[in-house]
Amino acid sequence: MGHRWGMVIDEDRCTGCEACVAACHAENNIATVGDDEASRGRALHWIRVERYYEGDFPDIRVKYRPVLCQQCSDAPCEPVCPTYASYQNDEGLNAQVYNRCIGTRYCANACPYMVRFFNFYNPVWDKPLDLQFNPDVSLRSVGIMEKCTFCIQRIKAAEIKAKAEKRPLKDGEFNPACVQSCPAGALIFGDLNDPDSRVSRLSKSSRGTTFLEELGTHPKVVYLKRDTWHDEQNA
Amino acid sequence: MDRRNFLKISAVGSATAALDACGKPERQLIRFIPEEDLIPGVAQWKPGICTQCGAGCGLQVRVMEGEAEVTRKGQLGLMSMGLAKKLEGNAAHPVNHGKLCAWGQAGLQVTYNPDRIRFPLRRSGARGSGEYQEISWEEGIKELASHLPQSKPAGKHSAVAFLTEPLSDHRSVLIEKFLAAIGAPPAVEFEFFEQTVLRRANELSFGHHQLPTVDLANTNYVLSFGADFLGTWNSPVAQSVGYGTMRQGRPGMRGKFVQVEARMSQTGANADEWVYARPGTEGLLALGIAHVILKENLRPAASGGDAGEQIDGWSKGLPDYAPEAVAKLTGVEVARIERLARELAAHPPAVVMIGGASLAQTNGLANALAANALNGLLESVGKPGGIFFTPPPPLPDLANRKEGASVAALCEGVLKGSSPVETLLVYSANPVFASPPAWRVREALEKVSYIASFGSFVDETSSLADLILPDHSYLESWVDNIPESGTMQAVASLGPPAMHPLHHTRAMPDVLLEVAQQMGGNAAKALQWKTYQDMLQAAFGSLRSHPGSITAKSADDFWSEVQEKGGWWGAGSSLSVRTATKSTVAVKASVPRFDGDAQEYSFNFLPYASQQFGDGRHANLPWMQEMPDAISTAMWSAWVEINPQTAERMGIRQGELLEVASQHGKLQAPALLAPGIAPDVVAMPVGQGHENYGRYASGRGANPIKILAPATEAETGALAWASTRVKITRVGQPGKLILFGGGVREWPLEDRRR
Amino acid sequence: MNKTPEQINKDLLRPIYHATWRFYATAAVLAALVAAALFAWVYQMYYGLGISGLNRPVFWAFYITNFVFWIGISHAGTLISAILRVCNAGWRRPVTRCAEAITVFSLSIAGLFPLIHLGRPWLFFWLIPYPSERGIWPQFRSPLLWDFFAINTYLIGSVTFLLLPSFPDFALIRDRASGWRRKVYGIISLGWRGTPKQWHRLEMAMRIMAVAIIPVAVSVHTIVSWDFAMAPVPGWHSTIFGPYFVAGAIFSGIAALIVAMALLRKLLHLEEYLRPIHFDNLGKLLLVMSLLWFYFVFAERLTTWYGNFPGEMSVFWSTQIGRFSPLFWTMVFCNFLIPAPILAIKSLRNKIGWTVAASIPIIIGMWLERFLIIVPSLSYKYLPYNFGTYWPSWVEIIITIGTFAAMGLLYLIFSRIFPIISIWELKLGMPKKEEAPELAPAEAAAGQPQAG
Ligand SMILES: Nc1nc2c(c(=O)[nH]1)N[C@H]1C(S)=C(S)[C@@H](COP(=O)(O)OP(=O)(O)OC[C@H]3O[C@@H](n4cnc5c(=O)[nH]c(N)nc54)[C@H](O)[C@@H]3O)O[C@H]1N2
Ligand SMILES: Nc1nc2c(c(=O)[nH]1)N[C@H]1C(S)=C(S)[C@@H](COP(=O)(O)OP(=O)(O)OC[C@H]3O[C@@H](n4cnc5c(=O)[nH]c(N)nc54)[C@H](O)[C@@H]3O)O[C@H]1N2
Ligand code: SF4
Ligand code: SF4
Ligand code: SF4
Ligand code: SF4
Ligand code: SF4
Repeated sequence: MGHRWGMVIDEDRCTGCEACVAACHAENNIATVGDDEASRGRALHWIRVERYYEGDFPDIRVKYRPVLCQQCSDAPCEPVCPTYASYQNDEGLNAQVYNRCIGTRYCANACPYMVRFFNFYNPVWDKPLDLQFNPDVSLRSVGIMEKCTFCIQRIKAAEIKAKAEKRPLKDGEFNPACVQSCPAGALIFGDLNDPDSRVSRLSKSSRGTTFLEELGTHPKVVYLKRDTWHDEQNA
Repeated sequence: MDRRNFLKISAVGSATAALDACGKPERQLIRFIPEEDLIPGVAQWKPGICTQCGAGCGLQVRVMEGEAEVTRKGQLGLMSMGLAKKLEGNAAHPVNHGKLCAWGQAGLQVTYNPDRIRFPLRRSGARGSGEYQEISWEEGIKELASHLPQSKPAGKHSAVAFLTEPLSDHRSVLIEKFLAAIGAPPAVEFEFFEQTVLRRANELSFGHHQLPTVDLANTNYVLSFGADFLGTWNSPVAQSVGYGTMRQGRPGMRGKFVQVEARMSQTGANADEWVYARPGTEGLLALGIAHVILKENLRPAASGGDAGEQIDGWSKGLPDYAPEAVAKLTGVEVARIERLARELAAHPPAVVMIGGASLAQTNGLANALAANALNGLLESVGKPGGIFFTPPPPLPDLANRKEGASVAALCEGVLKGSSPVETLLVYSANPVFASPPAWRVREALEKVSYIASFGSFVDETSSLADLILPDHSYLESWVDNIPESGTMQAVASLGPPAMHPLHHTRAMPDVLLEVAQQMGGNAAKALQWKTYQDMLQAAFGSLRSHPGSITAKSADDFWSEVQEKGGWWGAGSSLSVRTATKSTVAVKASVPRFDGDAQEYSFNFLPYASQQFGDGRHANLPWMQEMPDAISTAMWSAWVEINPQTAERMGIRQGELLEVASQHGKLQAPALLAPGIAPDVVAMPVGQGHENYGRYASGRGANPIKILAPATEAETGALAWASTRVKITRVGQPGKLILFGGGVREWPLEDRRR
Repeated sequence: MNKTPEQINKDLLRPIYHATWRFYATAAVLAALVAAALFAWVYQMYYGLGISGLNRPVFWAFYITNFVFWIGISHAGTLISAILRVCNAGWRRPVTRCAEAITVFSLSIAGLFPLIHLGRPWLFFWLIPYPSERGIWPQFRSPLLWDFFAINTYLIGSVTFLLLPSFPDFALIRDRASGWRRKVYGIISLGWRGTPKQWHRLEMAMRIMAVAIIPVAVSVHTIVSWDFAMAPVPGWHSTIFGPYFVAGAIFSGIAALIVAMALLRKLLHLEEYLRPIHFDNLGKLLLVMSLLWFYFVFAERLTTWYGNFPGEMSVFWSTQIGRFSPLFWTMVFCNFLIPAPILAIKSLRNKIGWTVAASIPIIIGMWLERFLIIVPSLSYKYLPYNFGTYWPSWVEIIITIGTFAAMGLLYLIFSRIFPIISIWELKLGMPKKEEAPELAPAEAAAGQPQAG
């Protein structure tokens, strides 16, 4: 059986530290757009930490929810793309072929999770910031849609390595950049086709739910909702 | 011309000649022969240490071949070299267990920052004009040596001062030895968010002049007084790793987390119960809770131990801190105080933390001692799920370091003329930016006749320097680190250079060694190592005889393995806590004093360490500027957080420019309506408002430090940066507030006022 | 109408031979605006879409609004004309050609917008299914591809529909002209001789086209509506969108036709040909469409409100009482509250000034309707954290203005090449008198055609 990569996001662990955000930028050659462009709503963050308040001062709480591409199995962004730039690969990833993208932005409208980002201008990298570029990830130019790829370059590298060594991939052998960095362990990545993987087991948690489930997108990202503390639980 | 140079030039000669004709300067770069063997496309992982904050997390640096413009012997050219491409946490490191925070991730942009100083500079214009001219390293070192005395002039103060960020590694040893040799006083360490108060409190309560390590992974109940322990305080990655386990890492067991503060921080936002207490009354609340525990006999007073004995009236059951009295002063209801006390007692192990604004008050030490005493009472000191202190590795040089004066004292001495400074060396500290105006740091520095900076960047302080000898970045140099907290093991981390330097820079310790050699005399005698690497090799060599993570047959093997693993960690973990120095102080918790009349200056002003910029040092990293702050979602901005009801009352709208005025200055920043802040408190992140810190940071937002009162914590003299009061007026024009996030409620229809 | 065929020829061919300075001045102004828009477009291609006001979350705005708007306007012509032809409504005769021209031009303009709005417009041809060496085909499931086919089909159909009945008129000009005109019209009349066989074929072709073009036109705007309805976006994902868009398109199309006819009537002195009765009849149609539009809007809003789905409600309230409500209520005024009473009162409807006064707000209102379908839905799409808003940039505004100018300019040029009213059809529709309508010599030789 092939792989079906998925992620579990534990909202009860997430601390809103944004390490995932910085890690994703560093891994995926995501441009910074600068203050003017950011103020026009053009900042690119393949993963973001949504923050919602509940209640009012002083009885107030916050919920953090890291949101990245949900890798929908029935992805609304795919059929709308006229050029197959957005398509489902054979491991169930919503892949984005930058070179095929002609910039209709239709996919970004169709995506209910707002995780697709458009290059409104050609990215500018003040030298020598460009020396940091990850050579495994292509750069995107003006007019192209980009988004979280589940760090497909890491997936492919690990698969190729395992294949060369004639062995199956081990659970947790590699991780996307955000998962690898996440200090609180709120992000868990793995193969949903492997019933013993951590991600498979956790995705069956009673706290588990998928995001905007009612839309029928069948995401491969499962959220474990924030827990509450009950005195009895620990008594 | 040596042979190597000759080869280089002939190797590229014809190409260069051809390209010269093209007339484009960038085409005229010569090509250097690579200095290392690399297979293009194949990543190498090299250990390192994150120096983005004091926590000292271990790194794994992904190095790959690439083409860089580098400077070699003053000559600009192209070279194929190993370049750091990505930073990951070192999975074997006892502090961060393979994880990194956002600052750690952004570390690459320090090395590759376009605003780095690329070669030694000598001031050519007026001071602060920013006019410099390039000089050679030989000239620079000679010049610096000529400004340093061989020894202390007899009967007089030394006129040399060394200003640095707090260091916990062999650089501090080197600096100390160097200064001692020339008869100069110990280095002045400066950091805005200093931890003096907490270290002092821990010394009094537990006998450790050290930051605590919190065993969050095993605790069942966390009570934190203002400690931003998941963001910027102490050892955030270590604490976040533990926190994750505390929440969901133990089947069937989920700890409760209560945060007490006046402004909901990124950390506080995670609390199961968020408690508002008036700023500076955290100690009162802690003792109020202790009172209930004692009164209801949930724990005996004796378990408070030394920490308890520091508190006035402890053995009598803290009669002055009955919940009714405490409730009045703190604003926390009686029932809640009682409930928190009972919950804490009923869910061992429970742990108490204190940090941030709670300590930056005039009564900060008392607050810390109160929290420590509560920890003692809960029997969570030196126990799993409690607090303890990271044992130091057996490195004798680091054991007994002398403390230097404070920046405030240094400046006072210079301005009054009581202890003038002729030569000031500055390393990675920026007090001109990060000190309250009353300290007059800039004025003081202007009175210093010669300033040399080892900065990698021009900032507000190093722009006053007469000589700049730029340091390597931490990925380009030998680094070591002894974590003060964050682990139960003794740790000595080591990071060999992950890549060759890009620019014509030199590591500060190596420069100091060279200066010492040039100077001869005491200095040369005291600093006998040729390079910092030699010094580290010698120091780490001594660890071989101690039980730890590395056993090696020979010293060389040991040395190479320490390099490979990224450090040495002691065998086993230590939960031991010494007994306190028996100097019982009988502290009373009280309300703090604030600077500014409560009528006129009606808001408490709360600066806080920014999730993006820390104390401002990361403001020159574009990734940090554009990373949305978790609470405000702001990018590239500075802002004033104000309660929405207060804002409505004052007619203040989101993003509108406000003037914030204290008795010491005023600034303007856009309003951010933050539902999680008390109605009479306004807060501002520290970090923006740089005048001179490269293209990404300069001229952006306002610096809250510049309106702070010079108030100090009563016992330690540390800056009480949370004790200023301000007034708010509307400027009447929109401010520059750039938000990534739109709505603040998940169900917007709850709030139809759109 | 008491005109002799000769007078008809004279009146209707005059604009082809004579142009006033006003014509040139107007054309120059319009051409300047079109040039400005072209410059803006090139500028945008050079720098990227960043110079527009588009952002995340509002990835579509003015350009797609214009696209839908002009597609809507295009329903003025061919569809209306076809329906009237099929119903054999006699009053249609002076109206059909200017209506059909509106279709061709507005469709061409509309077709530009999907290109203008592309991030990488130079790669537009990837939308075209052509065999490439890489074996990559476009995504046939994408409504954008359906658009591509639908618009092209409609465009080809409309051009055919416009040209077919023009051949006899071209021949008429050819036969009366000398010099270059004779040559040019000789070529474009494609050898029309008016033989019975030719008339028969023309008649057959028109019959087939009139029937065939109706489903094409309906499908075009249905497909355009599916650009939205197929995406799970609150406010878009609605079954009502197909008919709602078609009705809206006809609605705005008729309004545009009325305004265009009124302008032509004034500018080309066609008072005798385009008479109040034509406006009155179109006004009746417009009233029906206004009521229908209101019904659709009401039905769509009511079901949304009743359903109370949180994602939909954010968008709903933003248009009813929130940030977009001023535009929404302006739209309701423009599309219903102003025109419906005017058009319902016969004494107003049969005055040309009043029908125009009812039509102009509809054009504005229908542009707003498209904007309000697109922008609020994207601004308030599901996750409040990602709510945002939109302001157009000068580039979008100039390009929008430029397309209106382009419409005017194309129409002006058209009026110099084509008789703006189909002469032979007009003559055919005239009450039978003793003398046969003067036909082109070839026709005369061959006798009268059958009524078409
Ligand atoms: N998409 C796509 N991919 C392709 C191809 C294609 O047509 N399309 N073509 C393929 C073909 S045919 C080829 S040959 C490969 C080429 O692929 P590469 O071999 O990767 O080609 P280069 O980009 O030329 O880079 C080689 C590196 O060598 C460094 N270098 C230059 N001179 C020296 C030197 O003297 N010593 C050392 N140590 N390093 C040096 C350069 O700085 C550069 O970093 O690409 C293949 N990949
Ligand atoms: N400016 C520039 N010049 C270069 C280089 C460069 O990097 N930049 N690189 C140099 C190098 S390393 C190389 S290897 C050369 C490559 O130079 P070329 O060998 O010219 O390589 P391509 O441009 O890939 O063209 C190969 C042709 O083969 C066709 N082709 C593809 N598959 C087949 C097939 O199965 N059968 C047949 N018969 N034809 C096929 C393709 O359509 C294409 O037309 O270029 C060299 N020149
Ligand atoms: S989350 Fe959005 S971008 Fe990702 S697969 Fe789903 S629809 Fe596509
Ligand atoms: S923007 Fe690119 S990926 Fe998205 S639908 Fe258009 S062509 Fe496809
Ligand atoms: S999986 Fe990779 S691409 Fe996706 S958010 Fe995480 S780091 Fe970014
Ligand atoms: S790194 Fe982990 S804990 Fe931090 S914000 Fe991202 S998901 Fe949350
Ligand atoms: S906590 Fe963050 S900044 Fe500090 S050392 Fe660790 S990774 Fe670096």
